[in-house]
Amino acid sequence: MDIFPPAGYIPTASTIEGIEVYQPAPAEPAVEAGVTDFVCPQCGATTAYSVAEGGLKCSHCGYYEAAQATVVGKAAEQLEFTVETLEKASAAEKHGWGEERQEIECQNCGACTAIPLGSLTHTCPFCGSNKVIQRQASQDMLRPRYLIPFRVDTAACQQIVARWLSSSWMTPSALRRLASLKAFVPVYLPFWAFHAVTKATWSAEVGHTVTERHYSPSQKRWVTRIKTVWRRESGSVRLNIDDVLVEGTSKLSALLLGQIKNFDLRGLVSYEAKFLAGMHARAYDVPLEAAWATGRERMRERTRLACRQQASSSQIRNFGMSLDFSDETWRYILLPVYVAAYTYQNDLFQVFVNGQNGAIAGQRPVDWGKVWLAIAALLSPGVLLSLIGLVTLLLGGVGVIVSGIGFILLAIGVGIAIWLYSQATQMDDA
Amino acid sequence: MDETASSAVSSLDLAWGQPSTLAICEQCDWAFVVAAESLPPQCPHCFRASLTPIEASADLLPRLRPPELMLPFTVSEAAVLQAIQNFAQGGWFAPRDLTPRNLHARLQRIYLPMWLVDGKVEAQWQAEVDFDYEVVSHQNLYSDSRGWREHAVTEKRIRWERRLGRLRRAYANVLAPAMEEHAHILRQLGAFAVERSQAATPQGYAGALVRLPNRLPQDAWSDAQAGFQAAAAAECQQAAAAQHIRAYQWTPKFSDLNWTLLLLPVLTSYYLDDERQPVTVMLHGQSGRLSGLRRASMKRAQTAALWIGAIATLIFVLSVLLAGAALFFPPLLVLAGAGMLLAGVVGLSAVIPLLVSWNVNRKNRQAASL
Repeated sequence: MDIFPPAGYIPTASTIEGIEVYQPAPAEPAVEAGVTDFVCPQCGATTAYSVAEGGLKCSHCGYYEAAQATVVGKAAEQLEFTVETLEKASAAEKHGWGEERQEIECQNCGACTAIPLGSLTHTCPFCGSNKVIQRQASQDMLRPRYLIPFRVDTAACQQIVARWLSSSWMTPSALRRLASLKAFVPVYLPFWAFHAVTKATWSAEVGHTVTERHYSPSQKRWVTRIKTVWRRESGSVRLNIDDVLVEGTSKLSALLLGQIKNFDLRGLVSYEAKFLAGMHARAYDVPLEAAWATGRERMRERTRLACRQQASSSQIRNFGMSLDFSDETWRYILLPVYVAAYTYQNDLFQVFVNGQNGAIAGQRPVDWGKVWLAIAALLSPGVLLSLIGLVTLLLGGVGVIVSGIGFILLAIGVGIAIWLYSQATQMDDA
Repeated sequence: MDETASSAVSSLDLAWGQPSTLAICEQCDWAFVVAAESLPPQCPHCFRASLTPIEASADLLPRLRPPELMLPFTVSEAAVLQAIQNFAQGGWFAPRDLTPRNLHARLQRIYLPMWLVDGKVEAQWQAEVDFDYEVVSHQNLYSDSRGWREHAVTEKRIRWERRLGRLRRAYANVLAPAMEEHAHILRQLGAFAVERSQAATPQGYAGALVRLPNRLPQDAWSDAQAGFQAAAAAECQQAAAAQHIRAYQWTPKFSDLNWTLLLLPVLTSYYLDDERQPVTVMLHGQSGRLSGLRRASMKRAQTAALWIGAIATLIFVLSVLLAGAALFFPPLLVLAGAGMLLAGVVGLSAVIPLLVSWNVNRKNRQAASL
């Protein structure tokens, strides 16, 4: 120890006079740095993160500055559920964004979005409403430590949406010409990523179907009967469950988010405010404890299914298990999603595109005129042939074959029409 | 006594606070500070030779510095008697001299020395310290009828972290052995409760012999350094508000070292073996734990063997007589045969006392060599 203190150490409190104590400096002091302004060093204009170029870009003079993306992937630090952390999380103490932002609360849908200061956006990206109120950001969120940068740029996103819209003939033709659908907003959405090891022991009665032959005195013959034999089975399961993603926001459709949640967490990079420059980013509104309760619920269901799969048969009754969680850890991360909201015939629809891999999920209105027309077209050959067959049957008795074909076509048409109706209803309810 | 010797003794008196004499046993080389008027007739350690007064200057030899702290004799008389009783009556074929009365009558109080080192330290240090923290985990139970039931459990975990720093501290009374035999004696008697030490006064150690160190400070310095390091590590752990510390390393610079003595209370006694040689026993002055070789008397074992042999011979002679009588009354032959068999068994068992005594002494020799 020639130079004291060595690099990377900072003084810390000592309870004894005459003894100095030094501890390693925090690994990521940049994260704890204060507020950052993104101003172009050449012209003074505001810079923003460019997805296509992967760095800060000044749209005024063309200045470019690469973002230092330290890919950490699955090695991203995971935090334990310490009593201290949970207390802090529940009290929503400290932690800001590292970039000064303001928060907009939409009075229409209630969503809160943190947006850069000076943003001209006044349209809620979730409902399209212009009725918003601006207020100061609370700065009291747990600071995200990792994120996945956008890989899909806006142009690619629009192509994805165009393909998606044209992939179904049930959507109204006018929908493809909606201007607001082109205005996709890149938003970093908050997610909690959980890891745990579940150790479970289970026991159940497992049924096996057996076939028996026995002589029946009343029937005076050998008869065969099938019965279920139940026997006790038990076992144990140990699952290492990694990266269970739980949405950190309750303001968006969990169903739709669930469809685009196939993020590859190997693309996680250390949080840097540059990635958020000019973007929207949502703070979490589902606190850590509530999200962890959801995560645990998913983990224990997976463990329960794994236990049931261990049984030698699928017939199971009186199933019981005990489950211990261990090595529980969590991460608070931001994941890239393009969000668009649009209204069609006074109804609100949301579309999400995964900003990493382009997976899309959304609500599409159904043009019921087209659907009913298609159903009518499906049913009409059968109805027509059946009627012709009936008429010819009454007139000359030769319509049996025709009416038979008509009934068959009608049955097929009804089947296809029901399937079509269910598809349309599903799309309409999404 | 010439003038020089007189001067040395007077400075010794001054240092120890009472008229004192230095004496050494030429048999075992143990040296003592003894009250001038109470030189014992025998060495209180080996009891094989008398103590010979020696002349030395208390100012020149650091080992002659008076003690700073001492542990008083706190063992009760009843505990001493019980320990002696257990030792004296605890085995077979004890030497005739090994009796509770003899052991108790020959008890001698002595004090054994330990170094106490005071000093100032400046050092850079580094270590791993641990902080306990609590995490919340969950346990779940599931049954088809009742669904999931969950309860949270709080678990304690340890987090090791690197710490380093500088220290400038003074430490007092760091212990280091002052005798070459220190570890051996402590292994036999057990540790002393040094935290109960008190200031040493001439009245405190009056009437007891104080063993002089035979391990000089320069030899004990490595042990003292280890003591300083342990004390510093404990303080660094406390300074860092940590629960534990490990892998402690430091680069110390010592100054203002001061060496004094701590006195440990021990009782000694002895018994005479078959060859009339004294065998020392030692007794912990605080706990009353007794340690010493407990020899078996081969003489007593031989006497017992002779008696058993005589009984076997008598049975054999009677059996022969019965065999003779069987010529006139044949059923007596059975009795004669059984008698001879018994005589053989008893005769063979005569070696048992010899074997037992031999085995006890063999084990004692092994224990003494450890």
